[in-house]
Amino acid sequence: MNKTVCLLPVIAALAAVFYGCSSASLASFDRAKDISVVSREDGSGTRIAFIGIFGIEAKSADGGRKDMSTKEAIIKKDTGVLMAAIAGNKYSIGYISLGALNDTIKAVQIEGASASAANIKNGSYPAARPFYIATKADASRLANDFISFILSLDGQAVVAKYYVDVDGSALAYSGGKASGKIVVGGSSSVSPVMEKLKEAYIKINPGATIEIQQSDSSSGLKGTIDGNFDIGMASREFKDSEKEKLIATLIAVDGIAIIVHKDNPVSSLTKEQVNAIYTGRISKWSCIHQ
Amino acid sequence: MTSIKEKVMSRVFLLSALSTVLALALICLFLFINGIPAMAKIGAFSFMLGKEWSPSDTPPLFGILPMIAGSLYVTAGAIIIGVPIGILTAVFLSKSCPKKLYKFIKPGMDLLAGIPSVVLGFFGMAVIVPVFGESILSASIVLGIMILPTVTGISESAIRAVPQNYYEGAVALGAGHYRAVFKVILPAANSGVLAAVILGVGRAIGETMAVIMIAGNQARMPVSLFKGVRTLTANIALEMGYAAELHREALIATALVLFVFILVINLGFAALKKRIK
Repeated sequence: MNKTVCLLPVIAALAAVFYGCSSASLASFDRAKDISVVSREDGSGTRIAFIGIFGIEAKSADGGRKDMSTKEAIIKKDTGVLMAAIAGNKYSIGYISLGALNDTIKAVQIEGASASAANIKNGSYPAARPFYIATKADASRLANDFISFILSLDGQAVVAKYYVDVDGSALAYSGGKASGKIVVGGSSSVSPVMEKLKEAYIKINPGATIEIQQSDSSSGLKGTIDGNFDIGMASREFKDSEKEKLIATLIAVDGIAIIVHKDNPVSSLTKEQVNAIYTGRISKWSCIHQ
Repeated sequence: MTSIKEKVMSRVFLLSALSTVLALALICLFLFINGIPAMAKIGAFSFMLGKEWSPSDTPPLFGILPMIAGSLYVTAGAIIIGVPIGILTAVFLSKSCPKKLYKFIKPGMDLLAGIPSVVLGFFGMAVIVPVFGESILSASIVLGIMILPTVTGISESAIRAVPQNYYEGAVALGAGHYRAVFKVILPAANSGVLAAVILGVGRAIGETMAVIMIAGNQARMPVSLFKGVRTLTANIALEMGYAAELHREALIATALVLFVFILVINLGFAALKKRIK
């Protein structure tokens, strides 16, 4: 009996040593637990954006692209369900589009900046990517009119429904009402919001025909330089060679918030830590040093 | 006049009957027309036996073996949990249940059968997942509960269909009540009980909503009872919303595989039915 009592502190000390990267635990949050990684289904735009921003993909020289997300990640079908899963599991982590944030879950800071539209606009929150359109200097009247619509209050109201809007002309669209046809091509991430902008624009200006072709940012910009597209769409910054030939206009910003359970003491992560969690290199909360 | 009415109405009845067959034929046609080319493009071998499912990669990988295994694991789990309880319930209901209690249990079973799967999924999320996590075990428990009414109902009528003189004969030879039930009645009803199990399998393997909510949906080979898994149905329902081109066709091909599974199960059921007669 005595022996057992003596051994207890020893066992406790040993346990503490064996916990590797453990640190002080909150009573309600056991940092030694596995991180329950929650992701979205393959093909989801949020997933594609998340993976791109945090570099959770491997690219090969021949244009191949491999999603490096851990296969252990729990897959949820939509933002609402994912948020419910995070709210219901203390040890989980997930990501959602910035606009969906609410107080059932906690958004962590990334690189010290909290997830907000203001921080995205001033550039301090890194989990964001710009949506650009590109035009040549001699763009058609209709193309210019469509762009002025996108940047007007009306156009940015459409953008703000899905993404972070940008400071455009801050005026309502007055309407040049040019007719004819333009082709918009490029990034498949930008195309969904471009479709919405097109719908809104066609309502005001029924004489216009806008064709949207989705591929990727690079071919969108190249197609615009070559004259195949009147407007190119890109979800990345322009390269110097592209800047020389094209006028870049920022039309929207896509923000991704990394969310955890409210009881989770972790309040800030680096991009590298998020990458490590989602590629499965870090599997325990105790390995996240604050 | 009456004869014209008769003729017209008989045509109406015939049309009604044909609509079922027509619907089935259209579904088959849709699945085969869309599924077969995708399978051919991906390669039937790498589709059915590929262990990696990453449709957004370049080049994409469409291997559904993890999902086939997932469906089988979860269904097997549901059978292990649901069938013993279901059969014992059926024995109790048909052979030793007091009438007053029967009035509670039977309608309860019927009500359980009518509970929408999304509600059972919510129940699983709120009650079972906090204990067992999003895992094969959680999904098996919920599916086990889901197939209980099917297994119980059909087993009960099979047991009731065994002539009373079997039981009386056994008891006359000195067998006790439960000995007579388990050694004589239940074996005599075995075809019906097996049919109940097969229908249970059919229900479990086809269940989608509840499974998506509690199984974790990881597209990799099952690793542990306490880890998640993705079923064929979940794979289709999860990704159909965003899928395009070959990815979409691959999902239809997944449905085709599931359809073949269900077909085999139903053929088994039909064969058993014949044996009972």
